[in-house]
Amino acid sequence: MKSVYRVLAYLVALEVVVQAAAIAFAVAGLGAWISQGGVLDAAAMESESTEFTGVAGFMVHGINGQMILPLIALLLLLSSFFAGIPGGVLWAGLVLLTVVVQVLLGIFGHGAPVLGLLHGAVALVLFSLAVVAARRSETALRAADDVVAPGTAGVA
Amino acid sequence: MPARRLLAALLATGVVLVPLAWLWQASLLPATYAVTDMGIPDDGRGSTGHAGHGVHAGGRSVETLTGPVGEPADVDVELVVREGPAGYTLNGTSPGPVIRAELGQLVQVRLVNESVADGTTLHWHGVDVPNAEDGVAGVTQDAVPVGGSHTYRFRVNRAGTFWYHSHQVSHEQVRRGLLGALVVTPPGGVGTRDELALVHLYDGTRTVNGRGGETHVDAVDGERVRVRVINTDNAPMSAWVPGSPVRVVAVDGTDVHEPGELRDVAVEITGGARADLEVVAPARVELGGAAVLVGERVPAPAPRPVAELDLLTYGTPAPLGVDPAAASRSFRYVIGRSPGFLDGVPGMWWTINGHTYPDVPMFTVAEGDVVRMRLENRSGDGHPMHLHGHHAVVLSRDGVPATGSPWWVDTLQVGDGETYEIAFVADNPGVWTDHCHNLPHAVEGLLAHLMYEGVSTPYRVGGPNTPE
Repeated sequence: MKSVYRVLAYLVALEVVVQAAAIAFAVAGLGAWISQGGVLDAAAMESESTEFTGVAGFMVHGINGQMILPLIALLLLLSSFFAGIPGGVLWAGLVLLTVVVQVLLGIFGHGAPVLGLLHGAVALVLFSLAVVAARRSETALRAADDVVAPGTAGVA
Repeated sequence: MPARRLLAALLATGVVLVPLAWLWQASLLPATYAVTDMGIPDDGRGSTGHAGHGVHAGGRSVETLTGPVGEPADVDVELVVREGPAGYTLNGTSPGPVIRAELGQLVQVRLVNESVADGTTLHWHGVDVPNAEDGVAGVTQDAVPVGGSHTYRFRVNRAGTFWYHSHQVSHEQVRRGLLGALVVTPPGGVGTRDELALVHLYDGTRTVNGRGGETHVDAVDGERVRVRVINTDNAPMSAWVPGSPVRVVAVDGTDVHEPGELRDVAVEITGGARADLEVVAPARVELGGAAVLVGERVPAPAPRPVAELDLLTYGTPAPLGVDPAAASRSFRYVIGRSPGFLDGVPGMWWTINGHTYPDVPMFTVAEGDVVRMRLENRSGDGHPMHLHGHHAVVLSRDGVPATGSPWWVDTLQVGDGETYEIAFVADNPGVWTDHCHNLPHAVEGLLAHLMYEGVSTPYRVGGPNTPE
């Protein structure tokens, strides 16, 4: 279960990278589209028919951020109960809490753009927490390897 | 793993998962349900019921609340709808044919579904039709299946700009073109040249009456021209007239009282709403990526002005015809957003008065009531709120009273953080949808109903009926 925890924690970190890349792709594509004559207002933004290179970035960011990342963070917390990593539950809990904060900042940033500043900054906090959690599990895995009896390595 | 630690881990897992599973299970909708059995009854007099304890109305059925029967129609139209790879058409076109009628005429429209696989209906957006003619699948009728037909009959008792669209799988069918314009003029017309600008995004391209780019309208210099702008999309667009004056002579099918001349001001028209602009040729009506060119040698295009028309103070006061102080019912419609499950699907869903669909309020009134409603938006996003079957007058925004022309709406943009007080007369019995006209938002639960005491519906949402 320590390995599961480790994989899930690194997945959270990877997802933060995907989120950053997707939104940068979308914003760059939007800028290019507008400079080529595309017109964006609320009606166009809310129309699911608006098409430009990078528009998928908005969808990936939304689905990933609101559905997949919370699911991974939840699974990380559940795995922490069984992994027996010192501080593992705490770090997994912090990851999940940060994901919840990120979703709320993302959603309510539509009405209060200043929240977007926090959303971007907290993304790096989430990345760091996920990496710390993963490194904790690695330390625990090594410790477990050190104490196993000869002939049983890898069975744990 | 020692047994005691395993037990603790299992317990912790249960503590996390059991509430989630319970919330998930509680969110599941029955396969079919009557909207009148749904939600938290709210009689607007301070007492609210409990979710799931529907208002068992009995009495009159929605089916009996039809338009005039047995009288010959003044305007008789057949609309054959088809589904193709590029979208939907009505009599071979999208937008569908413009239906024109004079005030007081009886309009009859026979909808024939030739090939729309999901079934379809027609809703008369902004026309306060009798309930059975309202075209909401699962509420006022069953969706018309392929090969089926349905006839709508109603008298048009308000001159203005309206539109029609599907109210079955509407977020999909409207976006892909199942819509058209309905124009009601006073007998003899409006006294100026009368033009239509139905705006819709097809595959991301803004079009006017189905054509992209610039639309030309013939007019001689100095001629007054009314341009009826209809926003058929999901969210606000703007109209502006660079370099020449404009008056907003009507909003949502209702004349503005003594509209003043505007210059370099943008007019916001939210999703589903209409604004009639009166310009003097030559003029250019910019619609954000498309334009209507009225007459010859029109002014050059210009970016959208920063200043925006505020209808709260536009025009001059006139009698409302309704006394909000005498309101016999008072409702709150507070829009929020929270994480949870909607029919088993996790996500960030809209809430109304703190609850997700279907635990939304069921606003209950009796015929003759004067109703006040407070629309509050704390959801992080703007919403074009649309009440079927009624026009409401705006009393105030964020506590600031309306001081201009009576501002009657059927579709009102409530921005994030805004609060509107509106009032209307309950003069059209039935079961009426009261929802966000950003149609995907309605799918996401921003949808409630207004029902009259003593009215019931035999129709059910679910099965073939998916109104949103």
